[in-house]
Amino acid sequence: MTPDMGAILGAFTVPIDIPTDPMSTLWMFPLLLSISIVYKATKMRVLFARRFAKEVAVLFGTISVFMVFLGVVLILLVKLLTE
Amino acid sequence: MTTKNKVDHGLLLIVVGLAAWAVPGGGHFIIKERKRAIIIFVTVTLTFLAGLYVGSIAVIDRVGAKPWYAAQIMASPAVGLIGNIVEVSVDEAGNRKYVSYGRGHDVGQIYTSIAGMLNLLCIISAVYMTWCGRGEMIGAEEDDT
Repeated sequence: MTPDMGAILGAFTVPIDIPTDPMSTLWMFPLLLSISIVYKATKMRVLFARRFAKEVAVLFGTISVFMVFLGVVLILLVKLLTE
Repeated sequence: MTTKNKVDHGLLLIVVGLAAWAVPGGGHFIIKERKRAIIIFVTVTLTFLAGLYVGSIAVIDRVGAKPWYAAQIMASPAVGLIGNIVEVSVDEAGNRKYVSYGRGHDVGQIYTSIAGMLNLLCIISAVYMTWCGRGEMIGAEEDDT
């Protein structure tokens, strides 16, 4: 095994450090993109590159906006209950 | 449909389902939905690998996190092998060699589990397309172009 290969495999044995701050919620966006791509790949009857990209973008945007909206509602709810 | 054809069709459904589980996108590839297969393979694999990178391979915990493991194993049977490696790798004191902790563990677990659930969706999609015969029609069109 080459040192490079060892380093790559070694990176999968220790978790990376993600601080517990509001920025950590940004980790949801790559996941939302994955969900949008796979959902549209299974849902569309025929795949045309442009239409596929457009539909993925629309779905990704819709879910993202809803998640942000949900986050704001939850923050307001917590503030309302605790202050 | 004759009895022999029904048996053949049933076998094809099983083969497509197993292929879709073994390799993300494998089921769609068999029914000639190649574009779909490539998109699914790349997306599910990258999502799963991102989860393993963020949380380490210790997020595959078939003893302490069974519900998560049930979702993760849907990504591929290879997840079982990783789970086995994690489980049997212990030091002299009997502690686990690979551990996962903190927010990285949470994110990794969510990523790998969602990748598994997405592959389950793809397995169902591939089997359904085969059942409908849709793959044959659209796949043939793709072959012509």
